[in-house]
Amino acid sequence: MAVLRKDINELLTQTGPGTPMGELFRQYWIPALLAEELPEDDCPPVRVKLLSERMVAFRDSEGRYGLIDEFCAHRGASLWFGRNEGSGLRCPYHGWKYDVTGQCIEVPSEADNSSFCQNVQLTSYPLVKIGDVLWTHMGDAATRPPLPEFEWVHVPAEQTYTSKRWQQCNWLQAFEGGIDSSHVTFLHSGGLKTDPLFKGAKGNEYNLNDTKPFFEVADSVGGLFVGARRNAEEGQYYWRITPWVMPAFTMVPPRGDHPVHGHFWVPIDDENCWTYSFDYHPVRALTETERQAMIDGHGVHSKNIPGTYRPMANMDNDYLIDREAQKRGETYSGVAGIAMQDASLQESMGPIVDRSKERLVPADSGIIKARQKLRKAAIALRDEGVTPPGVDPAHQRVRSAAVVLPQAESFLDSCRDAVKVTPGVAQTSV
Amino acid sequence: MPKVIFVGSDGPEYTVDATVGDSVMAAAVKNGVPGIVAECGGNQSCATCHVWVREEFAPLVGPPGDMEDDLLDLAVAERRETSRLSCQIRLTRELDGITVDIPPEQP
Repeated sequence: MAVLRKDINELLTQTGPGTPMGELFRQYWIPALLAEELPEDDCPPVRVKLLSERMVAFRDSEGRYGLIDEFCAHRGASLWFGRNEGSGLRCPYHGWKYDVTGQCIEVPSEADNSSFCQNVQLTSYPLVKIGDVLWTHMGDAATRPPLPEFEWVHVPAEQTYTSKRWQQCNWLQAFEGGIDSSHVTFLHSGGLKTDPLFKGAKGNEYNLNDTKPFFEVADSVGGLFVGARRNAEEGQYYWRITPWVMPAFTMVPPRGDHPVHGHFWVPIDDENCWTYSFDYHPVRALTETERQAMIDGHGVHSKNIPGTYRPMANMDNDYLIDREAQKRGETYSGVAGIAMQDASLQESMGPIVDRSKERLVPADSGIIKARQKLRKAAIALRDEGVTPPGVDPAHQRVRSAAVVLPQAESFLDSCRDAVKVTPGVAQTSV
Repeated sequence: MPKVIFVGSDGPEYTVDATVGDSVMAAAVKNGVPGIVAECGGNQSCATCHVWVREEFAPLVGPPGDMEDDLLDLAVAERRETSRLSCQIRLTRELDGITVDIPPEQP
């Protein structure tokens, strides 16, 4: 048995208040909701649990977003039942009312001239719409970094699409799938041939033909670039370069002119996470067909139970596994769709996988490096207050890339420009 | 032919003849030295060939590489100043007589 010590596994997987990883996550802006969840002023509030904290999100009469403690300061009733009206959220129990900053602005039982409510303040965090995502920062306001600058939320609306799914496992095992290129040749082999958002790229052939990728991992200012090398034509290698920006942003290397996709893995609590999945094209609008395919759960997206973010194929129905399709080779695992192929196996490990029992191989070097960077950053923050990599928005301006290079060339030296965001310039892809 | 001396955690010593260019791990495995598991076969991905290099040989052996350093941090129960993965120590003539302690447990 090997690799991850139990105490380090606990360090990396626990993100509640006061834990080292929890404090690390609280240094960053992270996705809290999709903007579509709060579609209009005074719409119903939404329960939000992040990093083991229970909150409620709402959009007030003036369009301001708020993310506040879920429970009324009076006697602890859930404000999810609240009335969102007149620029505040009112507890339906005794009428206490809060604004988007969590400040209590009315306690009806008190005398009109009472200042009681001025001293009642719920915990609150900022909630800011960038792209299709509402972002929050759950750490100290004094060290709040500038807003995130990931390209996917900054291109024009017609060039981008984001979905999310509830995943019933710890964030780390979900995230580790995002930097593990070697599973694609197996688990997603069906999708590389048939998925409308994946198929047809020249790179897919290299991907399918070489089942023994060699991994080279390079540090970036905000995290890592994981290079997966496969054989291409004589004297050349096909490189797939996956960026990771700490703590939990990963991108999938592109395929042909398909939109580029990626994920943001956000802990709900220690046994659940949100997988935000996005697709965008740096220089053109998504076509109607592409957007519809995303809505229909193709590519990295999932088909969810209407009105929820729970996938229709989930652990309660064995992900609708189709053994015949598996036998025929249509899908490698029998589970349909790239997103649920990943989620099914990540969830199958159990809520928090015991990494002291795993056996890693050289193809897992990206995972080893990422764990080490997370561990070091969490400890440096805890012991010395060091701001971790990826907090600076400049660290977030990265792209994935897929290239064919002469065998002698170093993937990173040859791709410095390809892995940088250059507005108006398309992704580098094969 | 360099000799390598392995000292087990409960006392026994194993002196083996090794070949220049082999790793310390390979010398252990070829001679059936207990306590060097080497699950991944020298690929720097498991840390089950961890040893503590005796002080006097540490300068000759040098520090661990980058990936090895990560694995020592992540996997090893008791990392010491001279901890190394024995699969990453290449034997040279100068290392004749190198002595390493085998920790009581491997990851």
